[in-house]
Amino acid sequence: MTNLLEVQNIHTFIGQFHILEGVSVDVLQGSITVLLGRNGAGKTTTLKSVMGLTPPSQGQILFAGEPLQGRRSYDIAAMGIGFVPEHRAIFRDLSVAENLKIAERCKGDLARKEEFIFGLFPDLKRLIKLPGTKLSGGQQQMLAIARALVPDNKLLLIDEPSEGLAPVLIEQMITAIQQLAANTTVLLVEQNFVVASKLAERYVIIEEGRSVKKGLMAELVNDQETIHRYLGAA
Amino acid sequence: MMAERLKKNRTRLIVLGILAVLFVSASQGMSTEDWVITVMRGLAVGAITFLVAAGFSLILGLMDVLNLAHGEMFMLGAYIGWTVYVRPDTFVDALTPLLLLAAGLMLMPVLGVWLGQRPLPGKVNQIWPWLGLAAALALLIYALRQWPLAMWNPGVFAESPATFSLAMSQGTMQLPAAAVATGLSPWLLLMLLGLGSTLLAAALVGMRLRGQTAVSAPYLSKSPLILAGGLALAGVFIFALNDGLTAWLYRLNHTALFALAIVVATAVGGLLGGLIESTLIRPLYKRPIYQIMLTLGISFITIELVRAIWGRPEFTMPKPEMFAGTGAGCGREVVSIVERLANQCATIFLFNGRIRTYNEIFIILMGLIVLVGVWLLLQRTRLGMIIRAGVQDSQMVEALGINVRRVFTLVFSLGVALAALGGVLAAPSIGLSNGMGGQFLLLALIALAIGGLTSYPGAAAGAVLVGLLQQFIIKYGQLGINLPFLAEPFKPSPPLVPASTVLFMVIILLLLPNGLFGRDE
Repeated sequence: MTNLLEVQNIHTFIGQFHILEGVSVDVLQGSITVLLGRNGAGKTTTLKSVMGLTPPSQGQILFAGEPLQGRRSYDIAAMGIGFVPEHRAIFRDLSVAENLKIAERCKGDLARKEEFIFGLFPDLKRLIKLPGTKLSGGQQQMLAIARALVPDNKLLLIDEPSEGLAPVLIEQMITAIQQLAANTTVLLVEQNFVVASKLAERYVIIEEGRSVKKGLMAELVNDQETIHRYLGAA
Repeated sequence: MMAERLKKNRTRLIVLGILAVLFVSASQGMSTEDWVITVMRGLAVGAITFLVAAGFSLILGLMDVLNLAHGEMFMLGAYIGWTVYVRPDTFVDALTPLLLLAAGLMLMPVLGVWLGQRPLPGKVNQIWPWLGLAAALALLIYALRQWPLAMWNPGVFAESPATFSLAMSQGTMQLPAAAVATGLSPWLLLMLLGLGSTLLAAALVGMRLRGQTAVSAPYLSKSPLILAGGLALAGVFIFALNDGLTAWLYRLNHTALFALAIVVATAVGGLLGGLIESTLIRPLYKRPIYQIMLTLGISFITIELVRAIWGRPEFTMPKPEMFAGTGAGCGREVVSIVERLANQCATIFLFNGRIRTYNEIFIILMGLIVLVGVWLLLQRTRLGMIIRAGVQDSQMVEALGINVRRVFTLVFSLGVALAALGGVLAAPSIGLSNGMGGQFLLLALIALAIGGLTSYPGAAAGAVLVGLLQQFIIKYGQLGINLPFLAEPFKPSPPLVPASTVLFMVIILLLLPNGLFGRDE
């Protein structure tokens, strides 16, 4: 088993603010890893640093053994990393079909993946012609994930997939992520501990910009002290 | 669904309704013939305004760049088009140095890879781009000063642009004497120009490389090399054929020459836009205030440059033959529009109103073509899809693996090209002056505020409204409005024209803070 992604002790500034002060995350090939921690701990910034949207000023990030620093975002994405940001940044002025089409990296990506994507999210097929503005929150979230599945990505970074979704939709989302994780590695940020524990095999806890604890999710579930200390009441 | 939609857009519908009522009542007091003329003139002003506004709004929407130099790009388009049209000899003479310069700049990506792989020791790395830049500029200026350029020949220089356009419209234009090189041999100058351009490109690349710590070396693509070689070769070729080409252009009929002027002005605008974006604006994307100051600076510099090259006075651009016919076949007795167009008459009659074929028909037609063309580009192509997505969230587009900066350069170049096209189209109708850019930029800004800052249909609707309003006020300045409480008809004075468009904008913005088609940000 090798690490697909290695984040080694990165420091990231946003403006003058020192957001990450030493975060290390290893993502095992073929696994689902979740970043846990309180609001504002630096989980989203970690994902954005990997993506090159907030490039780290210190430390190293390796993807499939290749260093990512100095590379621009589009270059990093083209290496095979899909990004599903928080608040489902789908394109409102584009139709559902265009939202998927724009993510193509090679001609015909969408045609190849169509069956798989609509298998995961049957709703999207029905909504294909609607503009992004007309979608509900859950539909937007599905579209944002579907968009990341269009090109051949080796790694998916998914930020808060269950945020603001109704319980029924959360169940659907969990099933979908489990299915897509069968052939993709996933790094997840999830505030909802129940969702995180159902999905992830491994976890990394981030506290005030530092990665403080990591291990197997199965062990964390029974470790009430850690849960209480870092995540508040679970 | 329908009722909900109606309710949501209530204010917008009411505003549109009021506008329609105003429009109808404004045209009630006029004779049909005045009415038709005013509407056509309004649409023509709207079409030119749209060409400026469309590019401005695309650039603002996608890159958040407030391009205050946009009006000056419009003006530059007019002056470049004028030069190609009225002084083809100068155009041919200037083409060679310009092509060589473009060829040099095309080498930038290649030089970037080449220099990036050869890091120099710290101090040298910091200093050489500046020395290179100084040397390149010195070389270019030295060579350009001696370059044989027709209009700057001592003999011809004294004759102002106005004299030449007068001679052209009267048909007394003669082939001016070819420019003769003073000093060095032109072939030597040609080599100096090539060398200077390459050095300039290397220095610019060096500037960019200074700041970077780790340089990822992308693979070397051959296409810039081929393109640069082609451009340089074309430059040399044109220089060798200079006299023949000039004579041929002078023999060409004016309509074809005008078409060439449109193409050249638009293309130069596009190249200039790409150059401005990639060298000046790109380093400042994270500092919007500096960016605004930069574009304002570019606008002042452009005005001064135009004054230095073409002079201060306003001058005219004769209309091409196709739209300039008078005399036989164009008298009052010929009524059929088709016949008049076939006779290349300067005017046609629409409901008895005399409509100028160039000012009103051709300009409106070109505006419509661009409107549809850019709309198709935005809606039907992948580039358009990326632009529409980027207007909302360019970071996310980049995170999908799309090189957004390249799209930025393309859109900036497209926007400036549209402005330059507007300039060359407007020139035969409104003439050339140093102030034409600012005048139309103001109209475009008002149009965008009315239509919605970053909305494409908004730019079109706003431009048409502003144009119509302006022309109706002007018309009423001549006719006067009969008001019940006034003995004399009220005549809006000329200063009221700009004030009325601004006032109109204020009213619309009070009712609809995001404009007619804008959406909440």
